[in-house]
Amino acid sequence: MSLDYVKSTPGFEKFMPKDYRDLIDHGPFGKKVSVSQVGTFKEILEEHPMCAGCAMTLFIRLSLIALPNPEDTIIVGTAGCGRLAISQAAVPFVYGNYGDTNAVASGLKRGLMTRFPDKHKDVVVMAGDGGLADIGFSMLMHSWFRKEKFTTIMLDNEVYGNTGGQESGMTNIGSVLKMAPLGKKFEKIDMPDLARTAGCAYVALVVPNNPKRVEQCIKKATLIAREVGPTYIQAYTSCNIEYAIPTDKVMEDAKNVENDRYQFKEYISEDAKQYLAEKWGYKEYAKKAIQTTEAAK
Amino acid sequence: MYLVANIDPGICGATSCTLCTQFCPEANTIQYDKERKTAFVSVDRCKGCAQCVWVCDNMAKHHAIKMIMIDQLPEEFANKLTKNMSYEQENLKPSPINK
Repeated sequence: MSLDYVKSTPGFEKFMPKDYRDLIDHGPFGKKVSVSQVGTFKEILEEHPMCAGCAMTLFIRLSLIALPNPEDTIIVGTAGCGRLAISQAAVPFVYGNYGDTNAVASGLKRGLMTRFPDKHKDVVVMAGDGGLADIGFSMLMHSWFRKEKFTTIMLDNEVYGNTGGQESGMTNIGSVLKMAPLGKKFEKIDMPDLARTAGCAYVALVVPNNPKRVEQCIKKATLIAREVGPTYIQAYTSCNIEYAIPTDKVMEDAKNVENDRYQFKEYISEDAKQYLAEKWGYKEYAKKAIQTTEAAK
Repeated sequence: MYLVANIDPGICGATSCTLCTQFCPEANTIQYDKERKTAFVSVDRCKGCAQCVWVCDNMAKHHAIKMIMIDQLPEEFANKLTKNMSYEQENLKPSPINK
């Protein structure tokens, strides 16, 4: 939960694995790193057992790089592919039971706000489409209704990838999967609009096709969640096993899907825009705020 | 034997676009050497998905990355660079947050 916990006891450094020593000496803790500097510093994500070429891994990797303060962040997850990689990162990871991720995160955030009133401690929920839109749906919606101040990131692979290919609420209509041989009969749940209606201050729909954009979205969402209100990011992270995408075509598929049905969408509430402009120096929102007030006059 | 990505330092050093470092799904796998101005693969971490090949061919259009068998790696590139891996520190600024 802070850099002091990561550092090893003086005199014991030589007994730590090289990866760990690299992380302390060359890691992103306490520094400002960006996606364009990747490859020149040690990342907080380590080797993990996820499939080769998985787009979800790419998204998790980018979002861990983009966290504004990884040393002051706790990630809450649940069963699903995502936790295989998230649990291998040097960020505290809480393994919530299926369905209660957002309830756990609510309590965690409230506790941290009481314990550290003078510091920002970020809580990020990162779970799959099944864990959030199907099984965890009621907890998810209620955490938004209560305006709990944390970020929810959905890793939307449009299938239950870990259990053999059952359809989820986020699967597209008509998709034929191993465990859904007749094709899905219902429309994909429109989570971004639900999030907006439920009172999220920031909602974004991204594809890991554009690392800089992913970074910007994660940064904004975490910062807004500190003081303004709940934030939600939905990312298309294709399952190349269940949808039979060759690993070297994963980015091509992401590009096609982005053009087809996953266009970049971003909603920021006026309060959040003002907060970003005043506290974190986002110039684009400062200008817009002035323009809208001028137009109102 | 299995396939791993291999970056041609000649082509990569001429452009140094760093796109492959951003698109690799594995962490700490495609590193960037600032002295030689080229990306390089830590072959022991590479899972051989060939995503970097697609990115280099279609997005960057440099065609610098090829998949090769692990036993056919150029000797100096396989051993020298991964052993003497160095991280750049001067570019990293202290974070202004929480101060």
